[in-house]
Amino acid sequence: MVEQVTPSRVDRDTLRKQISEKYTGVALEPEAGFHFHTGRPLAEMLGYDAALVDQLPPSTVESFAGVGNPFSMGDLRPGETVVDVGCGAGFDTLIAAQQVGPSGRVVGVDMTEAMIGKARAGANALGLHYVEVRHGFAESLPVDDGIADVVISNGVINLTPDKVVAMREVYRVLKPGGRFQIGDIVVHKEVPQDAKDDIDLWSG
Amino acid sequence: MLTQVGFRDIRWGRQVDVFSGSKHESDAKEFDTRGVTIAAFKPA
Repeated sequence: MVEQVTPSRVDRDTLRKQISEKYTGVALEPEAGFHFHTGRPLAEMLGYDAALVDQLPPSTVESFAGVGNPFSMGDLRPGETVVDVGCGAGFDTLIAAQQVGPSGRVVGVDMTEAMIGKARAGANALGLHYVEVRHGFAESLPVDDGIADVVISNGVINLTPDKVVAMREVYRVLKPGGRFQIGDIVVHKEVPQDAKDDIDLWSG
Repeated sequence: MLTQVGFRDIRWGRQVDVFSGSKHESDAKEFDTRGVTIAAFKPA
């Protein structure tokens, strides 16, 4: 995350379509089995507080597909404004909402309609009227400049072909002094350009 | 990459072998892939 990397040459729109199809499956058929872990066992692996997970709707938990625990880098404070980039079914969005409380605000952004529907349903089920879920992309967030105290993201930036653009968007929507708490994938060995350009390796 | 766009005070959390036991495990091991948590700050 701190090194200069060579961007992939995959076609952005094709990649978005494949990823959205994959995560539509995670939303609608979470028990189907994927090339990555999902749901409550994954949350336990990543160290989420079981009591927090218990408070979430089962339909939210079953479609969780993160790779880290952004809250392990610090709890959110009451009243804060949070943007969740690639919010999926809303697992982290709803935890963030419980931490910031009704004096705060949480905006989830995702590109997959089935995930957006689940995230909205989860917020409604918990009566979290200060949660809003918008359709959008990490590289062009539908969020005004400088509104967020915190941006969270979990397993999303690695799925964007131009990560610098996505990072610039996070930076843009943060207030001065704001923080980015991210769970994502790192590789400790050099990934050859042909692997970076293999679209099937991106969407799993 | 984070510093490239202006973030400062980058803090690394724990790394997890998040693909262990999954169908993606062999691909993940090939590149020593880990799930990681990071915090980074926009200067005030």
